[in-house]
Amino acid sequence: MKIELKRSRLEVRLDYKKLKLAWTIEPRYWRNPLLAWLALCALPLLSLMGGLQWLSIFTTANLCATIALPLLLQIIGTGRVNLGPQLFVALGGYTAGLLSINYKMEALQTLPIVIVVALLVGLSLSLLTILARGIYFSLITLIIPLVFMEITFVFSDVFKGETGIYGITPLFRLGSHLINSIAYYYASLMILTLYLFLVDKILRSRWGMVYAAINNDEDVAMMMGVDINRHKIFVFTVTSVLTAIAGWFFAHYFGTFAGVTYLPFTFMIKILFIVLIGGRAQAYGTIAGAYFVSILDELLRSYLGNISHFVFPSILLVLLVALPEGLWGIYRKHKYREIYPTIRIRR
Amino acid sequence: MWETLSAVIVYGLVLGSLWLLVSIGFSLICGVLRIFYLGYGITFTMAIYVTWMFLSDFKLRLDIAIALMIVVQLAFSFLIYRGLIQRYLASEEILVTALLLVQIIIEEAINYKYPAITGVSIPTMILTGLCSVGGASISIQLVISAIVAILFTAIITLVLLKSKLGLIVRALSQDQKTAMLMGADVHRLFALAMMISVIPPSICALLLAPLWSVEPYMGSSFFITALLISILGSVGNLKGTIIASYLIGLIHSSVSFLINPRLMNLAALVFTLAFLSFRSEGLTRSESLW
Repeated sequence: MKIELKRSRLEVRLDYKKLKLAWTIEPRYWRNPLLAWLALCALPLLSLMGGLQWLSIFTTANLCATIALPLLLQIIGTGRVNLGPQLFVALGGYTAGLLSINYKMEALQTLPIVIVVALLVGLSLSLLTILARGIYFSLITLIIPLVFMEITFVFSDVFKGETGIYGITPLFRLGSHLINSIAYYYASLMILTLYLFLVDKILRSRWGMVYAAINNDEDVAMMMGVDINRHKIFVFTVTSVLTAIAGWFFAHYFGTFAGVTYLPFTFMIKILFIVLIGGRAQAYGTIAGAYFVSILDELLRSYLGNISHFVFPSILLVLLVALPEGLWGIYRKHKYREIYPTIRIRR
Repeated sequence: MWETLSAVIVYGLVLGSLWLLVSIGFSLICGVLRIFYLGYGITFTMAIYVTWMFLSDFKLRLDIAIALMIVVQLAFSFLIYRGLIQRYLASEEILVTALLLVQIIIEEAINYKYPAITGVSIPTMILTGLCSVGGASISIQLVISAIVAILFTAIITLVLLKSKLGLIVRALSQDQKTAMLMGADVHRLFALAMMISVIPPSICALLLAPLWSVEPYMGSSFFITALLISILGSVGNLKGTIIASYLIGLIHSSVSFLINPRLMNLAALVFTLAFLSFRSEGLTRSESLW
């Protein structure tokens, strides 16, 4: 392995027999993200002063970002707007919950099964990316979670209807509530960092170029020799699995799981808003968006009570209109990279 | 056996007619504006609760309350068009999110003022009791609602096919730019289509209010039906919407009578997906309104 300093870039080269890998590290670009990540790592210390409830809010923010990041990758990679990412959150949560209460399985035992279930469902639903495009795809994905919610009510003996499944084994049993909360926070941050790294690397890689091409015009991408169906199926399935893992975490974190919390429009709109207010499909922006939305939601709920149910979406609406480039747009000083795809529904 | 079959057919046709009233406004918006009006569900909720507000809080007569509700609905749809749709017609991701947010804001505001546990009673029952159609017993109010739905659809279809306004609207649905070049006032027609589209769901909500449960989040279930019908009927095509409404109505009644009423939406979705896998553009071509 060779590490070379070229101008302000570090180049890591690995030559082993036929395997040749090169990774360019540009510290000037990841200085601010690194600082932000260190700040996130220090958050539990700050939250100790404000109370444990803030740690829970930050954990939820991390989890919301872990749903928004795969959604972002999926929107770019398939060239379609999925309005039902919460389906896989519910799938992961219910699979983990049902296995936990019926077969007394621990969190780490339910994880592989959640991945397999999400993989199978994601693979079968990924056909939608070939069958339907544009508005059709968005409409269908919008309906599926709502129909799944109805199924949870129809088979309430299995899914426990509105009350949901409770008594799910926790991910951590470390004694005190404080240590558990900190452990959950860092676990969610670890997943978030992993997802961010993955999404960012993919979008900057050759695959990212292919996804951007599919997003811009899949017919042209196909003419250029891109196997668009293979890429769309792959990205849909992988992002579905990633979203289901967030559901799995929710189930083992809260110890309960009810579809009525995650499947309606309100949860979906929160995730979609995180993607938009973060900076319209900007990977780093989604984290800022998730924290912003989660903190705003909690503050309004604490100070306004029931009125917050309509004040919160009203503020989101105003922000959506006032910040067309999202929070990332305030931070970013340069123009969009030309290659960066934008979200489009009507095609 | 015959009784069940006749009930399936009769309820299928009646439900199909009702779904026509539910979905025709959505199809009109999709067909003319070529946008994805995610806030459509709120029209049903507003029809009930705005009427109820005028009846209970302002102590007005039913006919005046309904007239004022229609005025409020028209003004609301006009404001939505001018404030959001016209502004973000090209930025669909913002438009979709903003429209959904509007729906959530209004639903939550209604739920705050009139919580779900509060009884809401709109006296729009035209005739009480049951009647027998083809051996199946059915509420007279449902039959009246179905007849109103058919009449209303016939009027809209006639206007679209026979009037000059309809000709311009159809031209607009086929190609906006060309229609503009030919002198069509696009924004005025878009606003008009938005305003017309709130009338069928308002009538539907009022006719069904005495029969079906009313709560602030009721719009979502109607919206799901409208979405399914629109997808099956080639988004924005009225001919497709009419056929799809009756197909979905028959699927709903068959599943309700033969399997489980709560599985009817799932069955309709499975049917729609299966159909799309064979014919991805839906029942008819989606390039035009008719």
